[in-house]
Amino acid sequence: MGDVVQLLTENGELREDEVYSRYVEELDDAALRDLYRHMALERRVDAEATSLQRQGQLALWAPALGQEAAQVGTIAALKPTDRVFPTYREHAMALYRGISPEELMATFRAARHTGWDPHTYHFNNYAVVLASQTLHAAGWAMGIVQDQRTGTLDPDQPADEIVLACLGDGASSQGDAHESMVFASSYQLPLLYFIQNNHWAISVPSSTQSPAPLVRRAYGYGFTGVQVDGNDVLASYAVARHCAEQIREGSGPQLIESITYRLGAHTTADDPTKYRSAEEVEVWRAKDPIARCRSWLQAEQKADETFFEETDAEADELAAELRRAVLEMEPIDLERVFDTVYAEPHRQVEVEKAWLKDYEAGFAEEEGR
Amino acid sequence: MSQTFTLPDVGEGLTEAEIVSWRVQVGDTVAVNDIVCEIETAKSLVELPIPFAGTVDELVAAEGDTVEVGQPLIRIRDAAGADDDAGDDAGGADGAARAAAEDESATRDSGAQDSEAQDAAAQDSAAPGAATQDPAAPGAATQGAAAQPAAETSERPAADSPIVEDSDQQALVGSGPKADAAKHRPRLRPTELDLVEVSDLDPPTPAAPAAGLQAGDIAEMVAKASPPVRALAKRLGVAVWDLVGSGRNGQITRADVERQAQQRSGQGKAGRSRAAGAAAPGPHGGLPSQTGLLYDGPREEKVQVRGVRKATALNVSASASTVPHVSVFKEIDVSRTMDLRRRLRDQPEYQDVSVSPLLFAAKAIIWAVRRHPQVNASWHETHYTLRNYVNLGIAAATPRGLVVPVIHEAHTYSTLGLAAAITELTSDAREGRTTPAEMQGGTISITNIGPLGLDLGTPILPPGQAAIVVLGAVRTKPWVVEGQVVPRQVMTVGGSFDHRLIDGDLAGAFISDVAAVLEEPGLLLD
Repeated sequence: MGDVVQLLTENGELREDEVYSRYVEELDDAALRDLYRHMALERRVDAEATSLQRQGQLALWAPALGQEAAQVGTIAALKPTDRVFPTYREHAMALYRGISPEELMATFRAARHTGWDPHTYHFNNYAVVLASQTLHAAGWAMGIVQDQRTGTLDPDQPADEIVLACLGDGASSQGDAHESMVFASSYQLPLLYFIQNNHWAISVPSSTQSPAPLVRRAYGYGFTGVQVDGNDVLASYAVARHCAEQIREGSGPQLIESITYRLGAHTTADDPTKYRSAEEVEVWRAKDPIARCRSWLQAEQKADETFFEETDAEADELAAELRRAVLEMEPIDLERVFDTVYAEPHRQVEVEKAWLKDYEAGFAEEEGR
Repeated sequence: MSQTFTLPDVGEGLTEAEIVSWRVQVGDTVAVNDIVCEIETAKSLVELPIPFAGTVDELVAAEGDTVEVGQPLIRIRDAAGADDDAGDDAGGADGAARAAAEDESATRDSGAQDSEAQDAAAQDSAAPGAATQDPAAPGAATQGAAAQPAAETSERPAADSPIVEDSDQQALVGSGPKADAAKHRPRLRPTELDLVEVSDLDPPTPAAPAAGLQAGDIAEMVAKASPPVRALAKRLGVAVWDLVGSGRNGQITRADVERQAQQRSGQGKAGRSRAAGAAAPGPHGGLPSQTGLLYDGPREEKVQVRGVRKATALNVSASASTVPHVSVFKEIDVSRTMDLRRRLRDQPEYQDVSVSPLLFAAKAIIWAVRRHPQVNASWHETHYTLRNYVNLGIAAATPRGLVVPVIHEAHTYSTLGLAAAITELTSDAREGRTTPAEMQGGTISITNIGPLGLDLGTPILPPGQAAIVVLGAVRTKPWVVEGQVVPRQVMTVGGSFDHRLIDGDLAGAFISDVAAVLEEPGLLLD
């Protein structure tokens, strides 16, 4: 198991690692800057979405503040065709894959069930039911294995596709996560579990969810796991690259426990000051993943001020575009919501649809209308 | 032109919020996403960013006001609005905003409290200058409905709704189909679940919800009543789904349920529902005999319940109605404690802290809890949890109402540390600086009614706790010491206990131990 893998220290110094350093050395300066850029863009989008919720334009938002490095580092290490099964907080991953902020927001405005076609981006729809996506991921991975065995793999799909199953420390307690890992192990699936341990499952600390490190669970199921500093984008990248390579070579499933911290609220409907101290948040604020990456890029002269200014400007444009898009979104068509539950007419759905119509019609008319 | 920011639902299904503080004043310049105010909802304190840029024109609600979701908070005048002319027929957001501004001021002038009208006005992007006094203007109705994401979507022609113009005026309310345009409209009738005949479809395998009970169960699930109201209805035997809600958004309220229960059982007994307590007398102006009133003011006054008062009411009703309370008292001689208190006060390190009977009682409680762990516990029906630590709640009367801040891990404090903690905590509470976190997690509490000049009281247990100790006033009284009547300093100490967990003998033993320490603080030396 070993220690938590860290390549970029909290002071912004690069460390040597026998196994993992080589993956970072392969990245040129442009690629390193791009990691930073993706983190910065997501943070700006995240802030805009939080504001939009506070202004009544989104029903809910789940901020990813503080988890940018964990997400960007990991998604950057995969191939664009590797299938990702996200939770509801993988905004940096979604944006990295090319999903637009507008597509990302549609569900949070309750304007659509989902904003994007999962097949276009090889990125599944957000799963709000905790850990359900880990079963979907295992199912998808079983499909890959079956296709390979029977020679029916989609010709457009690379033969070495792997699957990323995202989950959090809270979801790790769900039965679904257990079942998924059992199947992944039994069938030796090409599946990478990516647990972002952000320390808080709403108000329950991860120390309550699992007194033992979550990474140890992998060994219980018979595969390997590694803990990585999730606020270190370089380590997150290198560890995911390493795991992905091994899985592609047939290692079977692997698990990454990414140690990070949710700096914001669980969602905009949550008030974290009720369950955690300001001191704790300050400790983690000092480990900010973006600031750490930025100071290293500056110190190594891998990025100049122009780059940071351009990135900020790009982020502001993206945020403005997001605001415009959200305000223009068409509301959801409730008729269609009912009509697309089942392919064929269904009594219960018809009853409920009629109930809603009757309910809507059952209000007093406004005077003069 | 001005744009109005209405209170959004910042949580999930919140209906109102209190304005805690404004961060801007009229005339200030703001940019999009600048924080303009802090609000307190049932869930949390939230900072609100403004969706418009410009100059603050009006703060519609004052600090301390409770504002309903959808009601206007603040109006912002566009910096570039000087060239504006009401006669312009400019389309797009500008036109919408201008119309909204005018309509809204008209609505306000008419003094309408009706938020629906204001909403409609805010959304109305029809021809500028359209009179809101005439809400029959078709534009108002159509636009108002169109801007609401969930309102009768199926009946609305898609083409006639320039959503763009409205949407930046219009906050989403709620997080689902409840967020309809009709949110302020009263219900005319309940909606029956089993109202559609779809005989051409296969019936579901289990019996159709015709059997009364089953239909009732489902109907209850969709009735617009909050869980506490449903619980009340269940307790009073009221079919909550039969009611037409009088509350906001057509919600069924406690009053609806109680009214129904009362009507069903004949009528309420006269005189039974006398007001629990009149508002504090105002300044005594006119002669009461002339006005026929007790003091200056309206004959009856409706006072809105909110904030701490509301929370207190919920907590004490829940506690009093679910926890069987038992109380015991003991009158004791605390002269030695008062002597010790004087001596401690003379110590230099105690200069800046308050050395009160409360401090010694806190020490005594921690000492007594060690001997009787069961009083420091919480009851959960199938089990109870013993807490091997003391998070001491201290009830404090504050201008905002009763709050019970908690000293966490109080058993780890030295006497001086505890004194300092109590001092800080009570001053924070009085100044309203107690954070929600500081009010969580109490395991046992103490309430000091001595400063009110009272001797005895039966406090209600804070939720999740099994004991609360009450301290009376310290008075010099005649006391018999070794056969002689002598003046001693005497107080009554007692408490309320959760009888499910604590019988009278345990309550008595615990209070006797607390009393023993207050009579002989030297016991703390062990």
